Amino acid sequence: MKKIYNNPVGESKYTGLLFVMPFIAGFILFGIYPFVMSFVLSFTDSGINSSPEFIGIENFRRLLNDSDFHKAVAVTLKYILMLVPLKLIVSLGTALLLNMNIKGMGFFRTVYYIPSILGSNIAIVIMWSFLFTSGGLVNQVLEKLGIMPVSWYGESNPAMFMIVLLRVWEFGSTMIIFLSALNDIPRELYDSAKVDGAGKIRMFFSITMPMLRNVIFFNLVMQSITAFQEFNAPFMITGGNPMKGTYTVSMLIYDEAFRYYDTGYANAVSWVLFTMTALFVAVLFRLTRKLRSDDI
Amino acid sequence: MNYVKHGRIFLIISTLFSFFIMTSCGKTEETAVLPDGKLDKCTLRFSWWGGDDRHEATLKAIELWNKKYPDIKIEPEYGGWDGWTEKLNTQVSGDTAPDIMQINYDWLINLSKDGLGFYDLNQLSDYIDFSGYDTETLSFGMREGKLNALTVSMSGRGLFFNKNVYSEIGAEIPDTWNDLISLGEKFAEYGKYPLDLDIQTGASAWYLCIVYVQQLTGKQFITMEGELGFTPEDIQTALDFYKSLEDNHVIRTVKQRAEDDGSSALYQSPKFIDGTVAGVLEWGSAVGKYQSVLDEDVLCAGNYLSSDNGNRSGWLIKPSLMYAVSDNTKYPDEAGAFINFLLNDEECAEILGTSRGIPASRKAYEALENSGQLCGISYDSSQYLLDTDPVTLSPYFELSQLKEYYNTAIEKLSYGTADSKEISEELYDKVKKYLERIK
Amino acid sequence: MKYIRKILVYVILSAGGIFMLYPVMWLIGASFKSNSEIFSSVWFMPSEFDFTPYINGWKTFGMYTMGHYFLNTFKIVIPRVIFSVISSTVTAYGFAMYDFPFKKIIFGCLMCMLFIPQTVMIIPSYMMWDFFGVLDTYIPLILPSLFANEGMFVFMLVQFFKSVPREIGEASRIDGCGALKRLLFIYVPCIKPAVISVAVFVFLWTMNEFIQPLMYISSVEKYPLTLALRMSADSTGQGYEYNKIIAMSVIGLIPSVSVFALAQKYFIQDITAGGLK
Repeated sequence: MKKIYNNPVGESKYTGLLFVMPFIAGFILFGIYPFVMSFVLSFTDSGINSSPEFIGIENFRRLLNDSDFHKAVAVTLKYILMLVPLKLIVSLGTALLLNMNIKGMGFFRTVYYIPSILGSNIAIVIMWSFLFTSGGLVNQVLEKLGIMPVSWYGESNPAMFMIVLLRVWEFGSTMIIFLSALNDIPRELYDSAKVDGAGKIRMFFSITMPMLRNVIFFNLVMQSITAFQEFNAPFMITGGNPMKGTYTVSMLIYDEAFRYYDTGYANAVSWVLFTMTALFVAVLFRLTRKLRSDDI
Repeated sequence: MNYVKHGRIFLIISTLFSFFIMTSCGKTEETAVLPDGKLDKCTLRFSWWGGDDRHEATLKAIELWNKKYPDIKIEPEYGGWDGWTEKLNTQVSGDTAPDIMQINYDWLINLSKDGLGFYDLNQLSDYIDFSGYDTETLSFGMREGKLNALTVSMSGRGLFFNKNVYSEIGAEIPDTWNDLISLGEKFAEYGKYPLDLDIQTGASAWYLCIVYVQQLTGKQFITMEGELGFTPEDIQTALDFYKSLEDNHVIRTVKQRAEDDGSSALYQSPKFIDGTVAGVLEWGSAVGKYQSVLDEDVLCAGNYLSSDNGNRSGWLIKPSLMYAVSDNTKYPDEAGAFINFLLNDEECAEILGTSRGIPASRKAYEALENSGQLCGISYDSSQYLLDTDPVTLSPYFELSQLKEYYNTAIEKLSYGTADSKEISEELYDKVKKYLERIK
Repeated sequence: MKYIRKILVYVILSAGGIFMLYPVMWLIGASFKSNSEIFSSVWFMPSEFDFTPYINGWKTFGMYTMGHYFLNTFKIVIPRVIFSVISSTVTAYGFAMYDFPFKKIIFGCLMCMLFIPQTVMIIPSYMMWDFFGVLDTYIPLILPSLFANEGMFVFMLVQFFKSVPREIGEASRIDGCGALKRLLFIYVPCIKPAVISVAVFVFLWTMNEFIQPLMYISSVEKYPLTLALRMSADSTGQGYEYNKIIAMSVIGLIPSVSVFALAQKYFIQDITAGGLK
């Protein structure tokens, strides 16, 4: 059966192909080689300055018994589940707040983006330790409130929470994307809803949310992918401690590749992470298919 | 491009993607260029990492070299420590390493498994004067009979104390292990600690335990050849010693330390700056950063601890930095001449000073002695070392994977998730297996 | 009532703003502090103001001043912003508006590039650029952006293109606009906030990029700011003065903050727009 291409009238089925040509060319020129190289290396035993040796699926077999890897997977999944919903809610909420048309909003928008500009600046590491160490501000406040102080750096769950908090605090980019999308919503929709006597909350759920669905989906997918690969935040704040309670899969990959000189194994772990991410994203695509406007 | 090393992979990829441009290449293996007996006009790349002092001194030394040998131009490539290992590893993988590079002792294991990873400096004896080195110091750079690297400086890992806090409390700087243990009680009264052993960086907790057992038994934890010299029982003794330090309030527990300082290094910790923690175990070559956060003359070098009968053996020294020449260099003679200049030239030594630690080459050492540049606590600590009977640290000891095993063991012990017997057996197995694999 | 609500909003925003801003205030203060003061005090005010760290930091100890490294950074950032915006927009438009052979597979490839950890791509990529003979130049840092290499931006713009009401495109078709013209004059203005945010992201992220330039650039002469900032930070050795590095990173923040401050008004299309009022 011949496939029917659903294109605007008068456009060839190749027009679209022409538009995505930059990506295809770049993928062939610069993308494929490292990608395939990494895949091949995952079946080898190779170090930094020695020739790779093919060992079949040995690396993958080793994965099955590597308790550090299992722990890292659990840590990463926990991190995703904690971070992604929280970050989406906070950034959408702030975007709604910053979308208001009142004086000085430009200043606030800049201020709220600043944590994201800082990236991995040394200030963050030092700030976090001032906040969360034993005599730090957070514990002082908790004590004033009559709550037991928490061992933030000394126990796994609080340590994880600290890292999640850092990433939520750097919500700027997600917020900007929401902000841009909020502005694409035609004003008339709200006006006519107002005429119908709809309240703020109803307008939010019947107009704002549906109009944002593509972008919410985008942020959900992107945040999940980034969270699967989280490296910097735990690396900076906890170093994976305590007891590997914040040691993510990406940290393990980094260690194997650049500290333990086990390139083959690092690549094998990377491809497992790749598969997990791909499956996760595929499920997200599938689950939200009906809610989104199209299937890409 | 690294055709030889990745030849097989190339083959596979190229059959899969025959359109891909990289396929047509079939270069043969390039053997290292042999010395030709004369110095040619050329440009050499020289890379190092470090801080401002080191950069400034080295650039000045290069300037001096350029005056003396205008035909051999040195192109400096330098930066901070962050990411430097990754960068050099990548360069070595890609056969694009600089002609001359500053490396760490343990890198020899992984970057030159068979002794062929770097140029064999023995072939350059026309240009490099080895007379400033004794055979033992030279042997640190040997891999499989090839001289892969030359030691720039030697360093011992010693104890340094905040002497203000010690005199405030009325405590003596410890001289024996028992002194150290008994300090805990006194310091506890003031809510302070006489020492800190950091598991975050450099595995210093495990290191001190090893020294203790090495002194006790005369064995070496890991031998120069990469054999595990300890039995599980020795390891257990080491772990029990660690536990006794925690129990006697000599050091903070791992958890306490994390709560106090987060993951910051000790010299960035308010507890160290305000004197709550009044001692540190560090390589002499790296102690400056602790000094810089305290007032002047507050930190002092302590003696290397001995047993009650005066046995001071078991402490470890290592080459803190080394120079190596790339196996791909086109100008080995010239690189050799430049290394010789860096290590042995008197004028150069005076410019470089102690920016890479206290020089291992006798010639440079004497030059610094004459110009009075040898002073400070790093030097004091190296002087104490003369009265001990130090053991050279095995290059295998500091492999990152092993450090990770040590730290995990200490962490488990400190958090009490297993007892020292269990942990010692596990650690013994892991270290043994890893050493077998890596060799 | 409306007045009270407005005040309430300001109070909430200001309270949150302090949390956002404090680290930067602290950072500026820290550039005047000594090492021990930096690590022992959470209060941002330094005990004294002394601009030596700024002067010494800017001059560095020798070969080049910080100004040189700033310039290098812009040599990378500016072409990259332009290339990324153009290539991502065009590619996203193709994915969003057209149906074509192998579309799903090609889009799958784009997404797949996002799933693989960059750590293991470092060495193979390095070898590839070595093969092309362009190591120690800015080409590996800039060239890929001509080819929509940042899948995230394509993916993002696809979502925005999809949100443009179909009727707008149909109307322009009737007017006889060509495909490219339609993209440029009809669709891009519709999603201007998104296109500008892509430009801002590329700018800010490239300013902060560390690993890539570290790998590809070896000559100190060509170092961008991120490498230059860490040039004197040696945690293995004798220690260093943090205030100098912090002072320079404060200056390094200025372009990013200004670009964002200038761009932020475009995230809001016109003054009357706004969700809740």
